[in-house]
Amino acid sequence: MESTSTGQAAQDDLYRDAVDKFGSSLERLASAYEADAEKRRDLSQDIHFQLWRSFQRYDARCSLRTWTYRVAHHVAASHVIRERRIFSTLVSMEELETLPDKDHGRFSAEQRMNLGRLSMLIQRLKPLDRQVIICWLEDMDAAAIGEITGLSPGNVAMRIHRIKNVLKRRFREGGSHA
Amino acid sequence: MHDDFSEKEPKNIWQNQPTEPSAMTLETIREKVRKLHTQTRRQLLGTLVGPLVVAFFLVFGLKQFPSLRHLLQPLFALALVWSLAGLYFLSRGRRSPRAPEDMGFSTGLEFCRREIERQRDYLRRVVLWGFGPVILAIGTFVLALALAAGRGIFPKAMPFMTLVVVWIVAYFVIRMRQQRGLQREIEELNKIETENNW
Repeated sequence: MESTSTGQAAQDDLYRDAVDKFGSSLERLASAYEADAEKRRDLSQDIHFQLWRSFQRYDARCSLRTWTYRVAHHVAASHVIRERRIFSTLVSMEELETLPDKDHGRFSAEQRMNLGRLSMLIQRLKPLDRQVIICWLEDMDAAAIGEITGLSPGNVAMRIHRIKNVLKRRFREGGSHA
Repeated sequence: MHDDFSEKEPKNIWQNQPTEPSAMTLETIREKVRKLHTQTRRQLLGTLVGPLVVAFFLVFGLKQFPSLRHLLQPLFALALVWSLAGLYFLSRGRRSPRAPEDMGFSTGLEFCRREIERQRDYLRRVVLWGFGPVILAIGTFVLALALAAGRGIFPKAMPFMTLVVVWIVAYFVIRMRQQRGLQREIEELNKIETENNW
C-alpha cells in the first residue's frame, strides 16, 4: 500500500515536472494536430491524461523531454488516425513540396506570414512528418527528433531540408504578393 | 527577409504563439480516470447493436413465419451466435495493443504503423463480425418473406430489396476503400523504415 502511494507520488511529481517544462509546447503541439478549438481542448486534456498515466512506467531510459514528446505525439497521432474521414486528404512532405498553394491569394501578405498559415501547413501533413516539423519548430536538433520519431539522422535531415524548402517557398510567395 | 529566408522566423512565430494554459490538474486527471470507466462501458454497449439487430429479426421472423420455423431457426441461431462471438472480437480490436503507460517506449514510426495496422484490422473485424451476422439475419428474413408470399412478393418488395442491396454494396465499397488507404499508409511507413536501415 505504501509503495503504491510512493509510486503515485513519483508519478505525480514527474507529471508536474513535465508540465512545468513543456506545458506550453504541449499546447502548441495540440494546436498543430487539431484546428477545431473544442476538439483541441479535448485533445490537450487527453494528452495530459495519457502523459500522467505513462509516468507509471517511466524508467529514465530516455530523457523526460523525449518521453513527454513521444507520448504527446502518439496521443495526437491516434487522434488523427481515428478521424479517418480527413485521413485521405493528408499529404507527405514530398507531396507538399510539389503541391500548389491552394490558400494562396485568400490571405493578405501579413496573414500569409502568420501563425495561421504555418498551422494550416502543418495540419495538412501526415502524422510522422508532422512530428518532424513540430519538433524542428520547437528548436530540437536532428538527434533529438530522431529519438522521438524513430527516423534515422539522415532521414530527419532530409525531411528538415524539405521543410525548410517548403517554408522558404511559402514565405517568399507571401512576400512577393505583399 | 523573403529573399534571405531565415529559419528563425517560422520558429519564432511558432514558439511565440498565444496558447491557452491547460486546465488539467492532478485532481481533474483523477476525475477523468473515473469517467473513463463509464466511457468504456458505453463503448461496450455500442457493440451490442449487431446482436440486437439480429435478435430483432429472429423474434420478428419467427413470429411472422411460424410455419418456416424449422428453416429459419438454424439460420437465425447461426447469425446470433456469430454476432455474439463478434462482441468478443470487436471489443478485443478496440483495445490498444499496448497499454497507454507503455507509449513512451515506442518511437513515432513504430507507434504510427501499429495504430494504422490496428485501425485496418479493426475495420476488417467490423465487416466480418459486425456486418456479417446482420447481413445473414436480413438475408434469412428476406428468404422467409419470399417463401411465405411466393413469387408475387418480389415486384412489391423490389424498392426495399434494391435499397438493401445498394446499402450493402455501398458499405463494402466504403470499407474496402478505407482499408486500401490504411494499407497504403502502412506500406509508406515500411518504406521509411527500410530507408532508415540503409
